[in-house]
Amino acid sequence: MSEGVRPARPKKSIVPYFVAAAVLAFTVFAARQVGFSLSQIANNFDTARDFIGRFFPPDWGWAKENVPGPMIETIQIAILASIIGCTFALPVAFWASKLTANNRWVYYIDKWFLNVIRTIPDIFWAMLFVTGVGLGAFAGVLALIMFSFSIMGKLLSETIDSADPGPLEAARSTGAGHTQAVQAAVLPQVLPNYVAYALYIFELDIRASTVLGLVGAGGIGRVLEAQRSFFRFDRVMAVVVVIFVIVFLIEQVSVFVRRRLV
Amino acid sequence: MIEFKNASVTYRGGVRALRNINLTIHDGEFIVIVGLSGAGKSTLLRAVNGLVPVTEGSVVVDGKEVAGASPADLREIRSHVGLIFQTFNLVLRTSVLNNVLMGRLSKVPLWRSTLGMWPEEDREIAMQSLERVGIVEKAYVRASNLSGGQQQRVGIARALAQEPKVLLADEPVASLDPVTSHIVMRDLQRINRELGITTFINLHFLDLARAYGKRMVGLRAGELVYDGDISDVSDETFREIYGRAITPDDIMEIKG
Repeated sequence: MSEGVRPARPKKSIVPYFVAAAVLAFTVFAARQVGFSLSQIANNFDTARDFIGRFFPPDWGWAKENVPGPMIETIQIAILASIIGCTFALPVAFWASKLTANNRWVYYIDKWFLNVIRTIPDIFWAMLFVTGVGLGAFAGVLALIMFSFSIMGKLLSETIDSADPGPLEAARSTGAGHTQAVQAAVLPQVLPNYVAYALYIFELDIRASTVLGLVGAGGIGRVLEAQRSFFRFDRVMAVVVVIFVIVFLIEQVSVFVRRRLV
Repeated sequence: MIEFKNASVTYRGGVRALRNINLTIHDGEFIVIVGLSGAGKSTLLRAVNGLVPVTEGSVVVDGKEVAGASPADLREIRSHVGLIFQTFNLVLRTSVLNNVLMGRLSKVPLWRSTLGMWPEEDREIAMQSLERVGIVEKAYVRASNLSGGQQQRVGIARALAQEPKVLLADEPVASLDPVTSHIVMRDLQRINRELGITTFINLHFLDLARAYGKRMVGLRAGELVYDGDISDVSDETFREIYGRAITPDDIMEIKG
C-alpha cells in the first residue's frame, strides 16, 4: 500500500456546453444568411422527381463509343501530374521543415511559397493554364502538378517535422555535409510515408481531373460538361457511373498498397 | 590530443553549462566523466566535436581549433571523432549495414550515398567495424529488429567506420540492462586497447566508472572538480563531486 492523499475529483468543465451552444447558434445564423430552406426543397419535390427521372436509363450504347477515350486521357493526366508534382515536392518538403531546412531563411520562404500555391484551388489553376497554354489535356496536367505539389509539400514536410532527430545528429557528428546527413538519416524515415502520400495524391488527382474538363482542361470532364449543356442527362448518368467505378477501383488498390507500406 | 583551455559554454537563455574548463587528454587514454545529470557531462563531450560550440576559451583536437572553426573545418574535425549515443540514434527503418555506412558519409560524394553505390573499400570498412563488435551476421537485418544491446553495438560500429582517432560515448549504457551494459563497456575497453583510440565516456554509474575507467574527471555544476587516476578515487571523492551522499541509484551492482 502506498500512502498519500487521494485527490478530490476534478470539477466538470462547462466549456463544452458553451462551445456546443455557440456552434448551434452559428449554424442557425449561417443557414438564414444563405437562405437555406427545407420547405423550398419539399415544395419542389415533384419537379425534382421529374428531373431525376431524366437520368434513367443511362445511355450505355452512346457511352461505349464516347467514354473510354476521354476516361483514359483523365487517367493519363492524373498519372503524369502526380509523378511530376510529387517529384518536385520532395526537396521542397525538406526545405519546409525546421528539422532539415538549410537555414531559417530557406524555411520561411519555402513555407510561404507552399502556402501561396495551396491557397489557389485546383479548378482555378486549370482556368489559369487554359488561358496560358490553351484548351486541352496539357493545361490539366499543369494544373494538377501544382495541386499534387502543394499537397505533397504540406503532408511530407509535416511528417519530416515529426521524424526522429537523433539519427540526424549522429550523421552530422560523423562529419557529413547537410544534404548528405539529411539523405542518410531522415529520408529513410519518411520514405514509406512519401510513397503512401503519392498514391493518395494520385487518387485525388483522378477525382480532380474528372472535374477539370468543365473548364476545358481535357479528360472526361469535357464530355460530362458537353452532355450536361445538351440536357442529355441519361448520358451524364452513364459517364458518372463509369467515373465512380474507376475511382472506386483505383482507391481500393491504393488503400491496399498503402496499408502494406506504413 | 584534446586540449580544453579556459573553455566555457553558455546556452542561449543564459544557462552556463561549462565554466572555465582546463583539461588535457592524451592519445590513447580511456577517460571517464562522472557527475549528476545537468552537471555538463554531455556538453563537455559535444564540445569536442563542436556539436555544442564553446562560447569562451578554446578546444583543440589534434592541433585543430574547434571554437570558431569554419563549417568545412568542423566537418573535417568531426570525421575523425566518433560519437556514441545513449539512445543509439540508429535509422530503424534501414539495414544495419546502411547505418554503419553512415560513418563513411564524409568520405564519399553525395550521389554515391544517395544511390547506395558505396565503393567496395567503404563496404569493407563497415563490415570490419561490425566484426569488431561481433554482430556482422546482422549486417542485412533491419535495425528495428535488433535488441537494445545489439543496437548500441551497431552505434559503436558506425563510429568505428569513421576510422576515428577519438571516440566519444555519451552515457552509452544508460538505456541498457546491467548484463548488456558490461558487454558494451568491455567492447569499448577492448577497442581502446586494440586500436589505441582515445576514448572519452560519460557514465552515470559509479561502479561502472571504477570497473572500466583509468582516469576520471568529475563535473559539478559545469565546473571541473576532480581529475585523477580512478584507483585514487574514494567514496568521499564521489560525495564531493555529487554534492550529496551516494545512493543505491548511483550503482549498477551486477558484475558482468
